[in-house]
Amino acid sequence: MLRYAASRLFRAILTIWIAVTVTFFLLRLLPADPTLLVVEGDMTPEMQDALRSQYGLDKPILQQYVLYLGQLVQGNLGVSFRQLIPVSDLLLNRLPWTLLLAGSAFVLTLLIGIPLGVKAAVGRGGMVDRAVQFFGITSNALFIPSVAILLLVVFGSNLGWFPIGQAIDPDTRGLAAYGSLLHHLALPLFSLVLVQLGPYALTLRTNMVEVLGEDYITSARSRGLTHRRVVWRHALRNAVLPALMLMGLQLGTLIGGAVLTETVFAYPGVGRLIFESVQQLDFPVLQGAFVILAVTVVLANLLTDLLSMVLNPRIRT
Amino acid sequence: MSTEPQPLKVDTPAAALTSARRRRSGGFFSAPSGWLSVGVLGLFAVVAIFGPMVVDSPSGLGTDILQSPSGAHWFGTDDLGQDVFAQVVWGTRISLLVGAVASLIAICIGTLLGLAAAYVKRLDPVVTTATDVMLSLPMLPLMILVTALAGPSVLTLITVIGLLSWPEVTRMIRANGLVVAAMPYIDGARVLGAGATRIISREILPAVMPLVVVNVLLTAARAVIAEAGLSFLGMGDPSSWSWGRILLNAQRSGTIASAWWQTLFPSLAILLLVLAATIAGIRYNDSRDPRTRGV
Repeated sequence: MLRYAASRLFRAILTIWIAVTVTFFLLRLLPADPTLLVVEGDMTPEMQDALRSQYGLDKPILQQYVLYLGQLVQGNLGVSFRQLIPVSDLLLNRLPWTLLLAGSAFVLTLLIGIPLGVKAAVGRGGMVDRAVQFFGITSNALFIPSVAILLLVVFGSNLGWFPIGQAIDPDTRGLAAYGSLLHHLALPLFSLVLVQLGPYALTLRTNMVEVLGEDYITSARSRGLTHRRVVWRHALRNAVLPALMLMGLQLGTLIGGAVLTETVFAYPGVGRLIFESVQQLDFPVLQGAFVILAVTVVLANLLTDLLSMVLNPRIRT
Repeated sequence: MSTEPQPLKVDTPAAALTSARRRRSGGFFSAPSGWLSVGVLGLFAVVAIFGPMVVDSPSGLGTDILQSPSGAHWFGTDDLGQDVFAQVVWGTRISLLVGAVASLIAICIGTLLGLAAAYVKRLDPVVTTATDVMLSLPMLPLMILVTALAGPSVLTLITVIGLLSWPEVTRMIRANGLVVAAMPYIDGARVLGAGATRIISREILPAVMPLVVVNVLLTAARAVIAEAGLSFLGMGDPSSWSWGRILLNAQRSGTIASAWWQTLFPSLAILLLVLAATIAGIRYNDSRDPRTRGV
């Protein structure tokens, strides 16, 4: 069990290291000279040199790399070209909103997807099963901004049931603030869940169908256990494990979806920040956003792996 | 829209009863999902190739601002008076181009790595780790960063999407290649003196070729979505139209709520194209492999 946990931890660290290394060399190898992008207008060569040494760009590339890793470990992601404040401050302001959105989408997908997948597998060929198969295939073809815009236009603009921008009404306090938070979260969350749910429920269904045919299920039935108990206790446990791991692998896609959703709903998370920084070519923010999202995804992935480990007796022993 | 109920028919018992001979000869087109998806893909290809010759480029600024769909403007006009139908037609070319070429790049890299990992034992841990690492990273933010640094253009989009989409392909090809590499006839080839290159290219590759074809379609579908996403975030080629850019324009000009036609038609185009590619991939897979029918 410890070995498994250690190997997962090593994999997580390796992934983060590769992510930041790739980012570093991309920034150095691609043609864009950062000093030309800091300030608009003409710069004298002296000013450029001064800026280069300020960013450490005049040192050998390996020394720069070590310097960069050292700064990253201290949480220093550089300074925004446009807003001239530390990127880490900008990102930490925005990250909680992305975590809230992506995290609740993750949980909600599990909460709806598991019963749906089980129902589809148990009642094979029935209505639920057909719906799950249909959405499992069509969801892959859904373009998140399209879904988000549709929901925004119908439920936000036309029906006026939900607000169409921001994450919270700043004038609310106490319980009303939580209400406002949920009210603002509803549409972005629903867009994400709608796209994630289909493939997830379909995978769970496929696993469940396989598990329901196993010998130990037959033996559980022959021991006179109720149908409900066999399905929800014995079969689900083994069907949900690969599905949970799959969900862990899908986290990168989920974060990508969150970036697009936040952009449509002007939700003040990291994704919306990326959209704003793209317009202004603010490279340090884009780089920092990728690094922080990569770290988030890898850590969340590590968590789902460790959770599967706790749930799975075969790894636990 | 008419293709929607088709995926359900993929694994009906009737399809499983199709005779082996029929499966081999005309299997792909024996189900409506087969010819419908290919028909839709063909239609998009025709629009992409010939559309821009027939429909004028939506560059000129018209006086008909934010018109709803009519005889003169089939898909309406945007806030600058540009025809949305023309935008969608011209966007088809970019979406298909990026989807097809990026998919081919990803397929070449992915197949090569997957087969190498499946046959050469020493390479396997390296390739597997690289694939897992790539798969667990948030790809869209990485694509945004690279595209922004390289400078947005159609070429950049193709390269970035192509170079970052191989891990899914590698994973599938490797898994399939491992099964093939363990078969006795591979040992036979090795005994006869065939080298690794020859075994991989002449013996294993033909065996996994059907899966490669499926992956071309599925990867192209993902590439189209990725291109639309990048364009929607403002990372598209500023000098050419794409479906994502039409949505971005609607978002920027604040006409999302009022001008439904500006977002609906490019959205439908994305949905239809990606759905057709996905279903064609699944149908091809099912028509080749009777085992997948009984899922």
